[in-house]
Amino acid sequence: MVATQTAKPVTVPGAEAVASAPGASRIRKLARAVLPGPAPGANGAALYRRWWLPWLWTAPAIVCAAVFGVFPFLNTLLLSFTNAKPLGGAASFVGFSNYTRMLGDADFWLATRNSVLYAVIVVPLMVLLPLLLAVLVEKNLPGIGFFRSAFYTPVLASSVVVGLSWQWLLADDGLVNTWLEKAHLIRSAIPFLSDSWLILLSAMGLTLWKGLGWYMVFYLAALGNVPKELHEAASMDGAGAARRFWHITVPGVRQAMMLVGTLTGIGSLRVFTEIYMLGSSTGGPGGADRTLPFYIRDVGLDPITGNAGYGSAVSVALFVLTLGLTLLAQRLTKEDES
Amino acid sequence: MRTGRLTGSMVGIVVLTLTAAGCGLSGSSGDSDSTAGGCKVDKGNVGSGKLTGEVKGNITFQTTNLKKDFGTFFNGVIKSFEKAHPGTSVKWIDDPGDATFGQRTVADAQACTLPDVLNVDSPTATALTKAGYLLNLGVKDPDAAKPFVPAFWKSSTMKDSSGTLVHSVLPWYTGGVLLTYNTDLLKKAGIDPAKPPTTMFGLFADYEKIAKKADGKYFATMANPVWRIPADWDQMNIKTLSADGKSAVFADDPRTAQWVAWMAKLYKEGAMPKDSLSSNSDPSTLYSQGKVAYGSTNPSFVRFVKQNSPSIYAKTAVGQQPFDALGHTTAAPQYIAAAATSKNAPTALAFAEFLTNAENQTAWCKDPSVVIFPTTSASLDDPFFQKTTGDDPFSQARKLVAEQLKTATAYQTNISTAVQNAIVGQVQLAMQGKKSPAQAVKDAQAKANELLKQAG
Repeated sequence: MVATQTAKPVTVPGAEAVASAPGASRIRKLARAVLPGPAPGANGAALYRRWWLPWLWTAPAIVCAAVFGVFPFLNTLLLSFTNAKPLGGAASFVGFSNYTRMLGDADFWLATRNSVLYAVIVVPLMVLLPLLLAVLVEKNLPGIGFFRSAFYTPVLASSVVVGLSWQWLLADDGLVNTWLEKAHLIRSAIPFLSDSWLILLSAMGLTLWKGLGWYMVFYLAALGNVPKELHEAASMDGAGAARRFWHITVPGVRQAMMLVGTLTGIGSLRVFTEIYMLGSSTGGPGGADRTLPFYIRDVGLDPITGNAGYGSAVSVALFVLTLGLTLLAQRLTKEDES
Repeated sequence: MRTGRLTGSMVGIVVLTLTAAGCGLSGSSGDSDSTAGGCKVDKGNVGSGKLTGEVKGNITFQTTNLKKDFGTFFNGVIKSFEKAHPGTSVKWIDDPGDATFGQRTVADAQACTLPDVLNVDSPTATALTKAGYLLNLGVKDPDAAKPFVPAFWKSSTMKDSSGTLVHSVLPWYTGGVLLTYNTDLLKKAGIDPAKPPTTMFGLFADYEKIAKKADGKYFATMANPVWRIPADWDQMNIKTLSADGKSAVFADDPRTAQWVAWMAKLYKEGAMPKDSLSSNSDPSTLYSQGKVAYGSTNPSFVRFVKQNSPSIYAKTAVGQQPFDALGHTTAAPQYIAAAATSKNAPTALAFAEFLTNAENQTAWCKDPSVVIFPTTSASLDDPFFQKTTGDDPFSQARKLVAEQLKTATAYQTNISTAVQNAIVGQVQLAMQGKKSPAQAVKDAQAKANELLKQAG
């Protein structure tokens, strides 16, 4: 037998005193305006339409964006027109001289080439390979959890540990060269860690290997939204696995692919650790593998000889490059969709 | 109306942000007359006059990668200081001292949040002194020099923003430099381990003998020139920079190109692992595996071998560093500095002097697991550092370093990491045969000068 209870009004100690206090009406109005819940009557609805209310809700986000995003960006932009030093001190405006120096700087163009090359090679592979991996581990087979975990493990490892592991793998007497020699595929060791092109390609391999598991999880979530009925219907119509992949799976995860492409593009242009781990502090022999962030560190951040002004100008160039490539990718995707 | 408000709000945000950015650009945190490196500080911290004030309050003390091995010792020092100065509290921060240490220090300095007392190496101290972030100890405590070996104190100077040499650091411990080698591998190559070479090129000739004998089975040393520039050039008395430090001059000395030619030859002949040309790895691992004949020049490297590879330790011997044209070593010590931006500068200075006093330096340098020596006169009189007995590599290392410290100075070429990388990069290209040694040296000087020019 269930006892029926009558709801009693809940009284809060001191509430009556507050309600009758001077200014309580204003407090109630403000509370109605800022707290969620239905507005009692027309007065509340009017409060909801206050012009400043959206700004109030978004203020924390705006402040964070301004402090951690807009302010550093504008500061960098201003610094790029100065000869400021990393440790402060007097800085004077130098006009566009940092930008004109940049245009004639062969090392800047080499770093730009490496960064663009990194993005051009890594982004398509990073968009496609994790998707294939996700399709492979999507099915609920016995023991599939082990493979999902195994593919995700590199994501959890620190970049330094991963870098050291790859050094051991790619050394002249490392695992890869030893296997290739034992298989009689090569006569002498492939100079993965001393040839500038191979260092760059190895660094790309490291980025891909470390990112596969992360983006695989993105795609696993996206694949859950692709209707299984479409696959079943296509199968009944005689479509093979490859055809179903291109015509059902890929369109179904297009939004996720765009996101992965954008994130990977930005990440590729900002790569530093992989080059440092495989090419040391010089960025490969002769600095031939330096990317733009590497170059910014060398010219802008050194406490003794750094020029924060020039480093900032290169940072602005990196920003423009990142923005340009992102917009280009979006435009190409839109054209493809239309 | 709504559009107007939106525009107004956006303009307000942009104006506020630009104003803030402008403040950041100026690098100043206030409009006080007393500033250090752009930070507002107590008047007593800068300018002329002895630093006065009560020793009390909280300070931070930063070391680099010492907590793991020496945590007990430093906690003891901190407790003793706090006991001797009631009302003080020292918070110890141990930075890992990795590749981004310099950048973190710069960020701390810019934000006016440098630790009150910090352990710095020579390049970092140079940068911080130039920008005015460190207390001028020669002025703030005229007695600061008293405990130290005069040669070390005299040579432990940095240039301030006007180019004047000032004492902004206290000398701490020094390690010296030594040759550490695998006697078996040297004997195989026909080298007498008891007679180490006295010149750099003599050492290179021994490397060549090893390369010819080893035929790729083992190596003499590591290839990356980053371990040798500018230390080798200092030892050969090759001037890397001009007297005012504003331009590179190493290419003017013909021995620099000869040095690069030697490196290129040794690399080609297999004296060094090919994949170590641009590797971060020092010889520690390969030496411990018996694959490299010469180990690190850091005397405490012997401890590493003893702990990690007893079989190789049994074959290890140490020899004096080739003094070459310089005639002595440049044992630049580690330094302790007090930040001019400290809010408790008297306490910071007191702790810095307490940490580096003879008693504490002696206690630490007697640690049996390290080969380090104190820089205070009273410590060096201790029999522990004067009479070393034993024939094991560890005892021999102590003996050799003690011998070299009799004539050593702290003078060391201070080049920035960026300049070092620029020079090293060109030498690497010469070693790969992509440039002639002469061209590489010329290009290295041009690149170094480009960086020095932008530093002003």
